[in-house]
Amino acid sequence: MIERVAFLWPEIALFVATCVVMVLGLSRSLALRRLCGPVCGIGLVIAGLLALRTPASPGILPQLMPYAKAMIAGVGVLLLLMLGGTVDREEEEQIAAGQRTFDAARTNRAEFYAFFMFSFTGLMLCASADGLIWLFLALELTSLPTYVMVTISSRSARAQEAGVKYFFLGALGAAIFLYGFTLIYGGTGMTRFTDISAVLAADGMNSITLAGVMLALIGICFKIAAVPMHFYTADVYQGAAAPVSAMLAFVPKTAGFLAIILLTTMVSAAAGETGGGDGGWLPEPVRVLLWVIAAMTMTVGNVLAILQRSVKRLLAYSSIAHSGYMLVGIVAGPGDGTFTHNGLAAVLFYLLCYGVMNVGVFGVVACLERRGKDGWEEVENLDDLRGLCKTRPLLGWSMVICALSLLGMPPLLGFWSKLPLFTSAISAGELALVIVLAVNAAIAAYYYLGLVRAPLLTDPDPDAAPMTDTPVVWRRLATVLSASGVIALAIAADPFMRASETAGRTRDLMKPDRGGADEHAEAAPVVPEDR
Amino acid sequence: MSGIERVIQTIGETVVVGAQHGGGHLATVEPGPTWMALAPFLPLVGVVICLICALVPRLRTSKLPAWGTVASLAVAFGLILATWLSLDGRTLNVHAWEWINLSWGDGPGRALIANFAFHIDSLTVLWMLFVTGLGALIALYAVEYMEHDVGLGYCRFFAGFSLFVFSMSCLVMADNLLLMYLGWEGVGFCSYLLIGYFYKKPSAVAAAKKAFIVNRIGDLGLALGIMLIFVQFGTLEYGELFANERLLHYKDLALAGDFAQIPFNVQLIALLLMVGAFGKSAQFPLYVWLPDAMEGPTPVSALIHAATMVTAGVFLIARMFPIFLVSEHALPTVAWIGTITALLAATIGMAQFDIKRIMAYSTVSQLGYMFAGLGVLTSVGAAFHVFTHAFFKATLFLCCGAVMHGFAGQLDLRKVSGLRSQKGWMIVTLAMLIACLNLSGFPLTGGFFSKDMILAEAFVTPGFRVIGWILLLTAGLTAYYTFRVFFRVFVGPVDYEPGDEHHGEPGSFHPHPPGWAVNLVLAILGVGSLLVAGVYFVGGEHGWVGSMIHDSSAHYQADGTHAGTLFGQDPHTIMYYVSAAIGLAGIAIAWWLHYAGRTEAATCRADRLAFTGSRVARWARDKWYVDEFYDFLFRRPLWLLGQVFYFIDRWFVDGLVNVFGILPRLTGWAVRPSQSGLLHGYALGTIGGTAVLLLIVWLVT
Repeated sequence: MIERVAFLWPEIALFVATCVVMVLGLSRSLALRRLCGPVCGIGLVIAGLLALRTPASPGILPQLMPYAKAMIAGVGVLLLLMLGGTVDREEEEQIAAGQRTFDAARTNRAEFYAFFMFSFTGLMLCASADGLIWLFLALELTSLPTYVMVTISSRSARAQEAGVKYFFLGALGAAIFLYGFTLIYGGTGMTRFTDISAVLAADGMNSITLAGVMLALIGICFKIAAVPMHFYTADVYQGAAAPVSAMLAFVPKTAGFLAIILLTTMVSAAAGETGGGDGGWLPEPVRVLLWVIAAMTMTVGNVLAILQRSVKRLLAYSSIAHSGYMLVGIVAGPGDGTFTHNGLAAVLFYLLCYGVMNVGVFGVVACLERRGKDGWEEVENLDDLRGLCKTRPLLGWSMVICALSLLGMPPLLGFWSKLPLFTSAISAGELALVIVLAVNAAIAAYYYLGLVRAPLLTDPDPDAAPMTDTPVVWRRLATVLSASGVIALAIAADPFMRASETAGRTRDLMKPDRGGADEHAEAAPVVPEDR
Repeated sequence: MSGIERVIQTIGETVVVGAQHGGGHLATVEPGPTWMALAPFLPLVGVVICLICALVPRLRTSKLPAWGTVASLAVAFGLILATWLSLDGRTLNVHAWEWINLSWGDGPGRALIANFAFHIDSLTVLWMLFVTGLGALIALYAVEYMEHDVGLGYCRFFAGFSLFVFSMSCLVMADNLLLMYLGWEGVGFCSYLLIGYFYKKPSAVAAAKKAFIVNRIGDLGLALGIMLIFVQFGTLEYGELFANERLLHYKDLALAGDFAQIPFNVQLIALLLMVGAFGKSAQFPLYVWLPDAMEGPTPVSALIHAATMVTAGVFLIARMFPIFLVSEHALPTVAWIGTITALLAATIGMAQFDIKRIMAYSTVSQLGYMFAGLGVLTSVGAAFHVFTHAFFKATLFLCCGAVMHGFAGQLDLRKVSGLRSQKGWMIVTLAMLIACLNLSGFPLTGGFFSKDMILAEAFVTPGFRVIGWILLLTAGLTAYYTFRVFFRVFVGPVDYEPGDEHHGEPGSFHPHPPGWAVNLVLAILGVGSLLVAGVYFVGGEHGWVGSMIHDSSAHYQADGTHAGTLFGQDPHTIMYYVSAAIGLAGIAIAWWLHYAGRTEAATCRADRLAFTGSRVARWARDKWYVDEFYDFLFRRPLWLLGQVFYFIDRWFVDGLVNVFGILPRLTGWAVRPSQSGLLHGYALGTIGGTAVLLLIVWLVT
């Protein structure tokens, strides 16, 4: 067991930072309290650098960890910048105004940042997972802190309601995939992915295992906000403060997709020939399940997004649709391992791009506020964005660039991330799904262009209630970084594409001589059985 | 050989160490020194300087953009001179960087390679000498000419100017057709920018658009030609193309007159390239944009629309001469189109009153000569005429520009007269006189020798004698309209009225003569135009230009065909006397009609001729209604078609799209109730959805 530590240095770095933050946030000194954010940032950067040095693992996706963890750390820094001022701003203002004194029992800052870091630790652990138990714990470590973060992110009753809904539905989802995990264990007698895939390769899929896999995948749909577990998304994203919504659109989704990639790679052993070119990478029932989920998820997300006037609800539904797009890459599978044919690499690359683009659009919402009946309220109506390019050029153009990128407009980042999904699905022979994807991309253009049109082509509404800029400079920085990242990454996409290409290679593709089921059996027990 | 010629040639040979080379053409390509590749990029430095000036408010009001451009072009000219001196008849290739390199398999025709590399032979150097040299001089002229626009306009002008020289350098120096095409499109784009320099003037905007669109028609031909070259010969690089065995084989066949064995698609290439050349070099029927292009500032007209860009078509044909030789009909077509253009433009030029427009039509006409020269297989004559024309036509335009500048935009030759007698206009008048003599083919000027070379070849080349006669007639017309301008504007009684850029009282106008920069440039160009005749007498059989062409891909020498005689004499000798007589006759008529006995600017003896009021003269003044004809034939039908498509798009396609657009919205409305906000509803949805999904999977598999 101890050799697993070699892969866990990033998580350890994050955990250390978490512990420090927990203490710092409760300090009486304002200067020390203020260190929470920077310490988190340092922790993430160190974790990211350590991740790059992670060695190849003997798991089913040997190179997954370096790319996935570095990507998580990178987007994490952006999200951390966004979080600034979410829970601590009003409190510190009141303390500074002498209306109240610092009370360690009532402050939320320590747990807010600590939960953020716990969630990221869990997220990285998902990438490190080598077995069902580990995966389950990692997924829950990712999600549990977010339930609390949603609730404490804003003082409005909506946030409380959102937190409760999120928690209960999350528990329901967790119950379903945990049930699935137990069935997989029941069907194979193993908990580690390599062992399970060896068993599946040797004996084929029995019905208990199949039911377990299906339930596990459906349960994980909660994490990625896919049909039929998507209901909570809009309410929760709207209820939570915009920075937390941005985090929800990335963290659980990434965790879910890492889990799905691991599970599908695991069951691909039962598909007869793995890594083949013509759609045979998954057992047929699993493929059909994912196919239906993908098609329904993107369609439902998009048609609901069309109707929205609230930017946050719109982005919530569009985040559902993006999960649907990414599931296409899962259905396509690793192909021959090259970037344009490897759906798993496409998903991993898409997660990075989506994380970057998403911060920008949520950031614009997070940077604007107006005085409501109880305190500051976020500005989230589409009409409030009118003429933003004229009144606040930085925010307006960030919105335009990020929305165009989310829409997949060449030559921005969103285009380069969507392209491999198309090419991998085509090369895997999933033409029908590609058509559904294309139609959905067209529908999505409608509402994304609405996000472009409002700031760029319309004039500000003179009757609208006045807005002010949120006095948190970090959020603007995150927004502008995201918008410039959309352009910069599109220009310098190559290293990231290569990294995701490597990360998305299954163990079978790593072998110089790709073979059939026999080789799996003998290659499986790489790590000695010590449980 | 006439006596005078022999004497001058002897002098020439003793004075100049001739650049005479024995090397055969299509010599092997050697790698050249890297510094030679700097010349095209120096103008880019000028662009950067202009951009910086435009961005920095403190520099914006300075003249730095102008001087930066002049300096960068002057250095580029120096580099080209150095290149020329060290070239020694070789063909060099300088590789700057890899640009396009695609391959799909091994073997010929399986890779598309187009590098940012430069093919430097004597043809390249010949063109680059006047592109950079005249570019530097005209930029110097523009320093003063564009003075009233100092500020952003100044930056914009010189940025466009430098960018043009860069593009032109790419066009001329490219070592492959794709880079050449980049330059070709680049000069078209810069021409568009600079014609539309006064973008608040609707006529300038319309002219810019017209130039761009008409050029697109030609460019389509060029693009197709380049593609066909790749399809046929599997390469776009000059070195490989001209050494291509199939091409050499076809060339042998063509020289033997056996065109039947050359595939149609190979013969088609030249015809397609020709269309591109016609567009860029303003040949019939695509010449209509050039006269309108005079809406741009005069330095632009002088550099782009007289001296350099419009000769790109000549360059293309000269560069691709081997391709044209293997096409049975391409060169005769070129000859005929050139001849028709020369005559047509000359007749229109005779009837115009706007001096810049007269010069524009004269440019079209002279380009026609060059094409005719290429068509009758005297690439030397064509190149020589390009070279002399570049000097004297630039001078003519710059003189017209000086008049325009000094008389508040006045260009009507009926409203200005007697510049010679006014203070400060002597250099302009002298430069104009030299240039006019060149253009009208006055004996012993450069224009005289270069035009005669084309005329003589036209007469002796079998089957082209009619072309010779038409060109001879055109030479007379040219002399007439050229000196019509000179006698009306530059000599005669002093009489003028200001143009519409004068905003004071009509009586308060005083012309202001050009300053030192304009005078200096005109003096240099005037002397240059005078001396350019000298290159005919140095360095080999056909002069210096002949030796330059001899070392390049444009070289052509078919044995025996050129040894014809005219009236039992050497054609060149006889043509000297004939064309001199014709030219002098044209000048004499212009003198009689427009100078003798004229007492004011507006009227002269020509007005009393019955012909001047006739219908034919009016048609010529209205440019033979070619624009109106095109409008009727192309623009209107296309506009109508556009209306039809607009209607279809508006009512049918949009309707279809709207129907499909409403579907997602309806679906959304249908799904929306599921988002009730109630926790138990969501939970039910989740469980129910799971069940339904599992059911679907069970049913499908």
